[in-house]
Amino acid sequence: MGSDTIMKETIGIFGMTCMHCHKRVKDAISKVNGVKSVDVSLANNSATVEFDEGVTNLNAINKAVTDAGYEVGDRKITLSGSQEKPTDKSCPVVIEEDKETVEKPVEHDKSGASTTITLKISGMTCAACAANIEKVTRKLKGVISSTVNVSIEKASITYDPSRVSQKDIENAIKSIGYGIVKDKISFDVGGMTCAACAQNIEKVLKKLTGVESVAVNFSLAKAHVEYDSSLVSAADMISAIEGIGYTASRKVDKKESEDRERKAREDEIKKQRTNLIIAVGLGIPIALGDMANMFSNFLWFVPSFLADNRVLFVLTTIVMLFPGRQFFVGTYKGLKHGVTDMNLLIATGTGAAYVVSVAATFLDLGPGYMHTYYDTAALLITFIVLGRYLEATTKGKTSEAIRKLIGLQAKTARIIVEGVEKDVPVEDVKVDDIVVMRPGEKLPVDGVVSEGVSAVDEAMITGESIPVEKNPGDTVIGSTINKSGSFKFKATKVGSDTALARIIELVENAQTSKAPIQKIADVVAGHFILAVHVIALLAFFFWFFIGFEMFGVAGSAAFAGVSPFLFSLLISITVLVISCPCAVGLATPAATMVGTGKGAENGILIKGGEPLEMAHKLNTIVFDKTGTLTRGEPVLTDVKSSASHTEEEVLRMAAIAEKGSEHPLGEAIVKGAASRNINVPDAESFKAIAGHGVEAGFGGKRILLGTRKLMADNGIDVTHLNASMEKMENDGKTAMLIGLDKEAIGIVAVADTLKENSKEAVDRLHKMGIEVVMITGDNARTASAIAKQVGIDRVLAEVLPQDKASEIKKLQAEGKIVAMVGDGINDAPALTQSDVGIAMGAGTDVAMESAGIVLIKNDLLDVVASIRLSKLTMSKIKQNLFWAFGYNTIGIPLAAGILYPFYHTIIITPAVAAAFMAMSSISVTTNSLLLKRSRIK
Amino acid sequence: MKGKTGMYSLIASIVSSIVIVVLFLALALLKNSGRAIPLYTDVDIMAGMIFVFILSMIVSASIWPGIIEKRLK
Repeated sequence: MGSDTIMKETIGIFGMTCMHCHKRVKDAISKVNGVKSVDVSLANNSATVEFDEGVTNLNAINKAVTDAGYEVGDRKITLSGSQEKPTDKSCPVVIEEDKETVEKPVEHDKSGASTTITLKISGMTCAACAANIEKVTRKLKGVISSTVNVSIEKASITYDPSRVSQKDIENAIKSIGYGIVKDKISFDVGGMTCAACAQNIEKVLKKLTGVESVAVNFSLAKAHVEYDSSLVSAADMISAIEGIGYTASRKVDKKESEDRERKAREDEIKKQRTNLIIAVGLGIPIALGDMANMFSNFLWFVPSFLADNRVLFVLTTIVMLFPGRQFFVGTYKGLKHGVTDMNLLIATGTGAAYVVSVAATFLDLGPGYMHTYYDTAALLITFIVLGRYLEATTKGKTSEAIRKLIGLQAKTARIIVEGVEKDVPVEDVKVDDIVVMRPGEKLPVDGVVSEGVSAVDEAMITGESIPVEKNPGDTVIGSTINKSGSFKFKATKVGSDTALARIIELVENAQTSKAPIQKIADVVAGHFILAVHVIALLAFFFWFFIGFEMFGVAGSAAFAGVSPFLFSLLISITVLVISCPCAVGLATPAATMVGTGKGAENGILIKGGEPLEMAHKLNTIVFDKTGTLTRGEPVLTDVKSSASHTEEEVLRMAAIAEKGSEHPLGEAIVKGAASRNINVPDAESFKAIAGHGVEAGFGGKRILLGTRKLMADNGIDVTHLNASMEKMENDGKTAMLIGLDKEAIGIVAVADTLKENSKEAVDRLHKMGIEVVMITGDNARTASAIAKQVGIDRVLAEVLPQDKASEIKKLQAEGKIVAMVGDGINDAPALTQSDVGIAMGAGTDVAMESAGIVLIKNDLLDVVASIRLSKLTMSKIKQNLFWAFGYNTIGIPLAAGILYPFYHTIIITPAVAAAFMAMSSISVTTNSLLLKRSRIK
Repeated sequence: MKGKTGMYSLIASIVSSIVIVVLFLALALLKNSGRAIPLYTDVDIMAGMIFVFILSMIVSASIWPGIIEKRLK
C-alpha cells in the first residue's frame, strides 16, 4: 500500500488512570496489524494512531482498546496525511468513512424541480461534524448537494422533493445525534373562548407556507410556532390570527408577559363576575315570572307583574344584551371568517328560545304558542356565564408552575463597576461582570466563584435540600440563595441563557406541545360543533314529523297544547347547549400542563407531550454505566494487609507513595487515606515507573506501589496476596500491590463506585416490572461486577460509543419500548434512537438536547419518579377523556329526547343542559388539578 | 382563489339549505294534506322553515368551503 492510504486518527480513550494503563493501551494498539505509530496521551485521554487504511481500520483499533479493558470515546478528527491539529471538542457521533458516498457525483436535477433549504444545526463541535452531516445527507436518494458550514452552524441542502422530503433529511441529521434548530416564535393570543378557538387558530396558521408546526394552548392563551423565517414572517402570522377574529401579539419579556397575562386573567374574571351578577340578578325573577304563568298555585308569592310577558321581554333582553352579548359577538366574528366555535352553539340555542318568545309575546301565533321561553334563554346564559367565571378562576391554576419559576428570578444584582459595588437591575448584568454576594441574597445570574467561600441553597433548581459548599472555581446557578458567607463570582450566563431561563422555556414549550393521545381529542373537537348541529337538525326533523305525533306529545301532561314546532325546537336547543367540545378539548392539555409543571417543581423536565405519554409505556430502561450508574471517578474501595501489617499502615504507605502523583488513581488513594484521618507525610523521593506503578522513598525505606510485574521485577514475593488480588480484580476493581523494601505488605483497590441511589432505583424499576439493562464500553468482567452490585441482570458490554444507538435499535426490534438514560456527548445518538431519552442533569448540552426528559438533579430515583409522573398524568388524561366523551355520549341522546317515549317528559331541560355543560369543563380542569396532590417520589 | 372559494361556498350553502327547507315544507304539507284537521299550523311551518334554514346554513357553511377548496385545487 502506498503512503496515500496512511490515515491519522485521534480517538478518545476512557478508563486510563496511570502509566500502566497508558502502556496497555499503547501495546494493544501497536499489536494491530497495519498500525504504523501510536501516541497515547494520559492527560488528554486520547490516542493518536497512524495506520494503513488498506490493511486495517478504525474498528479493529477500537476493538483492540476495548479488549484491553478500556472504553473508546469519540474519534476527534480524521486527517489524511495532513498536519492539521485536532480540535479540543469531539463530535457526538462518527460516521464511518464511505469513499463511495464522499465522492458521489452531484446529481443533476433533470426535472428542474429541485429545492434548496437552509437548516440551522445544533450540536456541531468541529469540522468533522460538518463532514458527518454532509455524508449522511448525501447518502439520501434525491439529495443533490449538501454543504455544511460549522462556523455558522448551517446546512444548505439541495434536493428533489419528489424523491426525498425535508422531514427525511432532518431525520437523517437527527439520527446521528445533531439537532435541527427551527425558527420559533410565541404569540400571546387573545379572544379564545374554548378549545375550538385554539383549533381554528392552528388551522389558519398551518395554511401559511413556511409554517412547520403550530401548537395553540387555550388554557395558557399562547401559540407556539415553528417556522421558516425565509418563507413567512411573524407579521404574516399575526395578521392571519387577527383575520379570524382573535388578537395576537409577540411575546416579550417573560416577566412583562406574565404581568400582562395576569392582568388579562384578572380582567376576564372581573368581566365574567359582573356578567354573572347581572345574569343571576335577572335570571331568578325571569324564571319565577315565566313559571308563574304555568304554576300560579305553587308560585303565589311571585308578583303578578313579573309574569307579564312584556316585563319578561325587557328583563331577558337586558340579559341577552349584557351577559349574553359575548356569545353573539363571538359567533359573528367566527362566522365572518368561516370558523365555528362554542359561542355558535350557545348563540343558536339562546337566540332561538328568545326569538320564539318575543314572537309569542307580540304576535298572535295561534294555538300552541301561548307559552314563552324567556326563562330558558336567561337561565341558559346564567349557567354558561357561571361556567365561564369558574373556568377563568381555575384556568390560571394549571399554569402555576411557570409562574412559580418566574417568581424565583432575582430582580437586582450587586456588581463591581470601576472598583465600586453598585446595585443594578438583573437585566443589566453582562457576561464577565463580577457579582458580589452577601449571606441571604439571591444569586442573580449563573457564574463561577472567583473569591470567597460559602454554602448555597440550590433546592429551588436541583431539589437538593442540603446547601452546597462553593469554593473558588465552582459554578453557581442564578436564582439560588447564598446561605452563609460572602463571595464574588464572575457572570457566565445572563438573561435568557441562565439555567432558570432555559428551564422556564423548556417547561413552557412542553406545556404547549401536544401528546399523541390528544390527536383523537383534536379530531373529535374539530368536527364536534358541526356534528352537534347535524344531530340538532335531525332531532328537530324527527320530533316535528314523527315523534310529536307518535308519542302523543300534545296530549301529555307536561306539554299539553304545545305546538309541534315549539316542542321540536326545545329538543333541538337542548341538544345544542348540552354539547361541550370544551371538555374534550381541555382533557389532554389541562392534565399535560399540570403534569409537566409538577415535574418541573421536582427537578424533572419533560420536554413535551410525546415523552410524557411514552414514558408510561416503557418496559425496558437502558442505563449508561460511567457517570450515570456510577460516579465516574475512582475512589478507594479496599485495603488488604498481610499478616504482619495493619490496614492503616498499608494505606498510609500507599498514600505516601502516591502523594506526589497527579493520576486519578493516586488521588483516590490519598483521598481515601485522608477520609480515614491517616496522616500522610511527604515522600522523600518519588519516581513513576511507566506502565507499572510508582516508587517512593520514606524513612529510609523504599515503597513500591503497582502491578505484579513491578513486584516481580524487584524480587518481592506476592503469593500470599494473590487470591485477594484476583478477587478484587474479578469484582472489576483496579488492585495495586504495596511493597515495603523486599516485603509485600498489602493491596489497595480503587474502583468507580455506584451512585448513592443506583441500587434503589434499579430495585424500584424492577418492582414496576421494567427490565433494566446496562450498556458500557467496559470489558465484560468489569461490567458484570458493577451490574451485580446494582442488581442489573442484562449487560451490554464492550459496546463502542457509536454502537450504542444500534444496541438500542436491537432492543426495540425485540418489541421493547426502550428508554435510554445517559449523560455523555456520545450518548446523544442512543438518546435520540430510544423511545424516551432521559438525560442526567450534570450531562452535556448535546445529551440534554437529544433527550425527551431531563433530570436536573443527578439522582437516579428521578428516573423512577418521571415514569410515575407519566403514569399519573396519563391516567388523568384518560379519566378526563372518559368524562368528556362519556358526558357528551350520554348527554346528547338524553337531550335529543331518547327517553321521552318511556317517561313522557323531557328529562333534561335546556337550562339544566346548560348547567351540565358548564360543569363538564370545570370538572375536567379540577380533575387535572388534583394531580398536584399526588406524590411522585 | 380565496374570494372564489368564499363566493362558491356561500352559493352552495344557500342552495343546499334551500333544498333542505323545501324538503321540510314538502314533508309538512304532505303530512297536513291527508287530514281534516291539519297537524301543523302555518306558524309551525314558517317558524320551522326559518329554524331549519338557520341550522342548515350553519352545517353547510362548515362543509362546503373544504369541498370547494379541494375541487378548485
